[in-house]
Amino acid sequence: MQLRYVFTELRTGLRRNLSMHLAVILTLFVSLSLAGIGILVQREATVARDSLGDELKILVNLCTDDDPSHSPNCASGEVTADQQQRIEKEIEDSDEVASFTFQSKQEGYERAYEQAKRSNTQAAFEGPDPVVTVERWPAAYWVTLKTPERADGIISALEGLDGVSVIKDQRKALGQIFGIMTVLKYGSWIGAGFLLFAALLQVTNTIRLAALARRREIAIMRLVGASTLYIALPFLLEALVAAIVGVALAAGVLAAFQHWGVEQALSDHVEFLPWVDWNDYLQALFGLFPPGIVLLGPALTLIPTLLLTRKYVKV
Amino acid sequence: MIRFEKVTKRYPGPGRPALDQVTLDIDKGEFVYLVGTSGSGKSTALRLVLRELRPTTGRVYVAGKEINRMAGWKVPRLRRQIGTVFQDFRLLPNKTVAENVAFAQQVIGKSRREIAKVVPETLELVGLKDKGDRMPDELSGGEQQRVAIARAFVNRPMILIADEPTGNLDPATSVGIMNLLGDINQTGTTVVMATHDHGIVDQFTKRVIELDHGKVVRDEASGSYGFQH
Repeated sequence: MQLRYVFTELRTGLRRNLSMHLAVILTLFVSLSLAGIGILVQREATVARDSLGDELKILVNLCTDDDPSHSPNCASGEVTADQQQRIEKEIEDSDEVASFTFQSKQEGYERAYEQAKRSNTQAAFEGPDPVVTVERWPAAYWVTLKTPERADGIISALEGLDGVSVIKDQRKALGQIFGIMTVLKYGSWIGAGFLLFAALLQVTNTIRLAALARRREIAIMRLVGASTLYIALPFLLEALVAAIVGVALAAGVLAAFQHWGVEQALSDHVEFLPWVDWNDYLQALFGLFPPGIVLLGPALTLIPTLLLTRKYVKV
Repeated sequence: MIRFEKVTKRYPGPGRPALDQVTLDIDKGEFVYLVGTSGSGKSTALRLVLRELRPTTGRVYVAGKEINRMAGWKVPRLRRQIGTVFQDFRLLPNKTVAENVAFAQQVIGKSRREIAKVVPETLELVGLKDKGDRMPDELSGGEQQRVAIARAFVNRPMILIADEPTGNLDPATSVGIMNLLGDINQTGTTVVMATHDHGIVDQFTKRVIELDHGKVVRDEASGSYGFQH
């Protein structure tokens, strides 16, 4: 196959349909940026849930030796096996609880260490005499509620039990944060959805116009025996070029969002939340589910191009 | 080389079929005129050979292969064995003469070296050796048709189909084109030419197949135009 010919045709096609291609690129760029932000917000929600628990969960920290809460429940020091059994039974018997898991000191410590490393505050965990150690870290129960509204019974029952240090009920604060994230996520996905649909229509129109402009060449190509792929290749390459430029621009915007928006602004102002990092950014670009923008962009342009060229270029 | 077996082609809608139980055989290396009034079925017959259409019933064979059942992806290969020339030349206006001829080779993936060799040879064959750099609109009608013939012949097809190739040309120029088609026929290429040009048919005597209302009404090995239109 004569690649030189194909690339000449590609150049001619891009030039001939420049305004339409620009429209496709801009729409793709904005829609993919929104889709990427949607993916990042979803990743952020996962990261936050992983480290803080979701709004359906409460964390019941058990007493440690020399417990920092100075709670009267911890007067006897480290939680005993009997105390822990009573606490577990109380949780088990509560009709407000959907499920619960026990988190050992070691697990809790490791989780906190990971979280600290993510937000670059691991100093307290390291060094010859670290402030935070496995021994000082409390074992805990993660209690998942049936509904976020009903937790008073279990909280008041546990509050008075020996061996319970602190109950962290993050429903209100987290509920708000997750609420905002959900709105942001769906908002950006709905916006991206509309714009991606617009991009799809524009791709369709562009191909229709390009096929019209080239109908003479196409007719001659068919007559002299060019294969369908050969005839369709310039169209596919045009679509691919538009997709690559759109994806590159969107990737740039997402990188800027990650660098200036998340790392420079949000993580400085909202320190208690772990934030998405560059791995999550790569996920927004190359992920499979939800599909990253590197998959989404070419798919949105190449699939309709393939279908339409089959229709217009049929031999 | 080309065989129609009881071929009927019916277009959607009411009315008689465009071709009605047509059976004919054209051998390798023959030169055949397809004559008949407008609507007699000449163009339909040519389009069936090119597999632009499929017969409603019956079978069409080209080079020994039944083409109406041919898979879509094999059609380009079939067309590479058939050159086509039209009344309106169908040249690409933004390409030079040489580029127009080279186009037929490029799209089937011939190498640049081969194109560089074959295109000038073909232009010389059609008498346009020195006009490769001209644009089509700088040429006369006869010259443009020569370019179209060069493009049709550049891949050395087994069959050349010409649909009214002299329809837009004056008689003197038409004679030149006919001589050229005759030369191409001499190389062993089968030529099938649909025409209304009775002067040409009578002057260059060849086999004549006359169609009327979709039926073959005359098939003479060395015929004349034979009717007034």
